[in-house]
Amino acid sequence: MQWSQLKQTLFIRYWQPTLPVIAAGILAALFFGLTGALWAVTGEFTRWGGHLLQLVGIEAETWPYFQIIGLKGTPLDRIGGMIIIGMFLGALIAALWASNVKLRMPQHKRRIAQALIGGIIAGIGARLAMGCNLAAMFAGIPQFSLHAWLFTIATAVGSYLGVKCCLLPMFRVPIKLKKLNRQPATSTPKPANKSQFGTGMLLLAALLLTAVGIYIQLPKLAIALLFGALFGLLIERAQICFTSAFRDLWLMGRTHMANALILGMAVSAIGVLLFVELGAVQKLQWAGPNTLIGGLLFGFGIVLAGGCETGWMYRAMEGQVHFWWVGLGNIIGATLLAYCWPVVAPLATQWPKVNLLDQFGHIGGLIVTLTLLASTLLLINLWHKRFFKRIPV
Amino acid sequence: MTQTTEIIADYQLDMTGESCPYPSVATLETMLTLETGEVLEVLSDCAQSIHNIPADIKNFGYQLLNIIQEGSDIRFYIRK
Repeated sequence: MQWSQLKQTLFIRYWQPTLPVIAAGILAALFFGLTGALWAVTGEFTRWGGHLLQLVGIEAETWPYFQIIGLKGTPLDRIGGMIIIGMFLGALIAALWASNVKLRMPQHKRRIAQALIGGIIAGIGARLAMGCNLAAMFAGIPQFSLHAWLFTIATAVGSYLGVKCCLLPMFRVPIKLKKLNRQPATSTPKPANKSQFGTGMLLLAALLLTAVGIYIQLPKLAIALLFGALFGLLIERAQICFTSAFRDLWLMGRTHMANALILGMAVSAIGVLLFVELGAVQKLQWAGPNTLIGGLLFGFGIVLAGGCETGWMYRAMEGQVHFWWVGLGNIIGATLLAYCWPVVAPLATQWPKVNLLDQFGHIGGLIVTLTLLASTLLLINLWHKRFFKRIPV
Repeated sequence: MTQTTEIIADYQLDMTGESCPYPSVATLETMLTLETGEVLEVLSDCAQSIHNIPADIKNFGYQLLNIIQEGSDIRFYIRK
């Protein structure tokens, strides 16, 4: 294969999502095995909110929520911080490869409101449930924590409501349709975008050198930076959109992203169990009403905003300004929830952290998880059939 | 989906600046208004539409003629 072809396939044309999602599942399990931490982002974004409040003199570190999740040091001292920085850089590198970094301004004010409000609702929901689509779904279900299942089901319901809301006339804008008088489509050549490929490669080299430098002193932080970058690369290159997995089931009867995520989680669960056998300690959360309410809010919020906590990160790096607003909303929402935690805490802390591996044994827990995933896959594809039976094609 | 000589589009739908799900929603709505055989060109700079629009076009029984990806812009050519 020639270089130009290889470059097109690897670095420019977007990847089909299924294999990259499975790769992300394997990486998430490996990351857990190497560091004992989850691929997660919202906890860290809540801390960023806490740091901002500290800057203006508010003692956020005394809030009970930050006593639970911690607020020591800076993002550079924490695994969570390094994952996020890595993800931002990885997504930026991937977008640069394809010359896909360009400021894209929202064309309508209502979209900005949608992004900000959706982001706030999703931020509140995620932190109420102690995790977003990562820690409470993609990385959570493979941890055999029952709460992740509750969150995922509630998110599906919330996203259905989100779809209904998104299609309301107030969120629709006039369609710009032009009659072309049968002009050849190729008759409007635009000056080609300046290639950003080299910049992407330079940034990658700088990232790798930095990671090696950090590894000598702080291996876990370097691993977090590298894995974060790999996650960022994968979600941008393959446009892995968790929101779409939920939303487009209801909206379009489309299933490919949901199917891919289920396969990814199945592979990840097997990987996590191997590490648990080797002595890794699972990350479990309360399986209480907090996860159900949190999931409902989260599902609704991500659809309204157009992206979840991972989706806005790679889109923000591509220069989609809409998603800067979503990110700001997420941090505001998460910080708000942290502030209100004493009021809502009983919804969570009075409920047990249910470990499927304790309930059913190690092999039993794996079988239950894989059976639930397979059943979800089946349900989704039955839904797809039913969806297109109603619509005459 | 080969790079054929020339695709003549009858209409152009400009969805630049709009993010998902709206590019796909508007594309399907517009397809309903086309006559059989007519071709729609959709412009999108929402990268995610690279997965959404082709899948939806196929699911709803239309024909995807070509996709051109250039920097942040994606053009879809769809025949009813």
